[in-house]
Amino acid sequence: MRMRLSQVLIAFAITSAFLIGLEVVTSTMLPALGWHEYRLTFNVLIILFLALRLDSPGVPWMIMGLQMIHSAFSIEGWALGTLAGLIVMLSANYLKELLALTSAIMTMVTVQFFQIIWYVTVTLIICLKISDFDKFGMIIWSFIPGSILLSIISPLIFWVLEKIWRVSPDSGPRGVEI
Amino acid sequence: MKLIQESSKTKIVSNFIVGILAVYGISQKQFKLDEPSLFQQIVTEVISPVQEGFTSSKESVSSLWENYLLIVNTSKENNVLKKQISRLESDLTSMEEMRKENFRLKRLLNYSDELSHQRVMAQVVGWDSANEFKVIRLNKGTRHGIKTMSPVITDHGLVGYVYRATENYSDVLTILDQNNRVDIVIERTRTHGIVEGVFNFKCALKYIMRNESVEVGDKLITAGVGGIYPKGIKVGMITDISKENFGMTLSIEVAPSVDFDKLEEVLVLIPVEGETAQVSLPVVMPAQEKKI
Repeated sequence: MRMRLSQVLIAFAITSAFLIGLEVVTSTMLPALGWHEYRLTFNVLIILFLALRLDSPGVPWMIMGLQMIHSAFSIEGWALGTLAGLIVMLSANYLKELLALTSAIMTMVTVQFFQIIWYVTVTLIICLKISDFDKFGMIIWSFIPGSILLSIISPLIFWVLEKIWRVSPDSGPRGVEI
Repeated sequence: MKLIQESSKTKIVSNFIVGILAVYGISQKQFKLDEPSLFQQIVTEVISPVQEGFTSSKESVSSLWENYLLIVNTSKENNVLKKQISRLESDLTSMEEMRKENFRLKRLLNYSDELSHQRVMAQVVGWDSANEFKVIRLNKGTRHGIKTMSPVITDHGLVGYVYRATENYSDVLTILDQNNRVDIVIERTRTHGIVEGVFNFKCALKYIMRNESVEVGDKLITAGVGGIYPKGIKVGMITDISKENFGMTLSIEVAPSVDFDKLEEVLVLIPVEGETAQVSLPVVMPAQEKKI
């Protein structure tokens, strides 16, 4: 299935608004309710959806745009996640034909797999930046509980994003072409 | 076929450009201090009032949760009665919250009177949305006089320093963050060391030699070196000491003085022009004098 540019822009705007809403939940609502230790990094989930379900030269720019929004909520900045998103997208492109996100379980497993690639990339870059590889294990470990929770709720988030991007099971393994 | 090849070329070019931009962005990134871009400033200024609204309506959310989810299956009469009770309780809670807030602010103001810094009271409106960074957002910014690198405290001790600031909001790199290193002195022994954030809301005390006589329960205060934190602010307490079979230093775990789970109001200390940050605080002076 192909999308027109106007449809893409509208879908991207809605996705951005969805990300802002989720960022407010994770940065404000959950800590206000006493959830402090782990963060649900919804930007990773949304970018994984774009990487896995859209087929377009515009996806890297969308990843960068979403990471720029994320950078207003985190000192992580836009660049780190953009590079991790690109690496995940390229890995997903190679594996796309093998992946079938047809069931909730498959979606959870796939999301967890790509989250690991994301976090290893991000942690490596952080360790390089702070010149301290002793912290590699500690940083990776801090990601694990949140990433498992994210994988569990990923079918729901993907369902919402499928509605926004009008991706149906008939779209095939390559998802929506733009 | 030609169309597919062209699309593939565009993808490669697109990936390459974004990749280069990201690598450049990473090379410019600093985890100790940041100047927000115009885009970040706009998004922060637009979104943070929403965060602030959520924080201030925390009680209302809890109340809604309880009222809606827990009593959804009870009878209509019960609902009316419970709503009445809930409203009264909510009023009471609000009054109690105001009383507590009043008490905390008074205590904080009394504490701040003893400091020779210009100070700005601020409320915590949010936390960093990434796992690896322990950063809080305050509802005061450059318009209120806040500058980057200003220390942030509560009456319990050190919170961190201002990492970046927009007009109305600022982000504070807390002492729980691995990128924040605080020069400290062990109050009892006057031994210097560095506290840095580790996983699980704890800190680690580094560079303490194996032959130092540190004990569990020893209190840590800022050393006043480094130019960010004034001397003598409470940082935390040693909770665990382990000696590895190798290495020259001890492995020490520290519990911060500030309970970050319950952090609501903080005080930003803005160094007065012409003064250095190494200002002794009377708060811990008696202990220091005793030692001397």
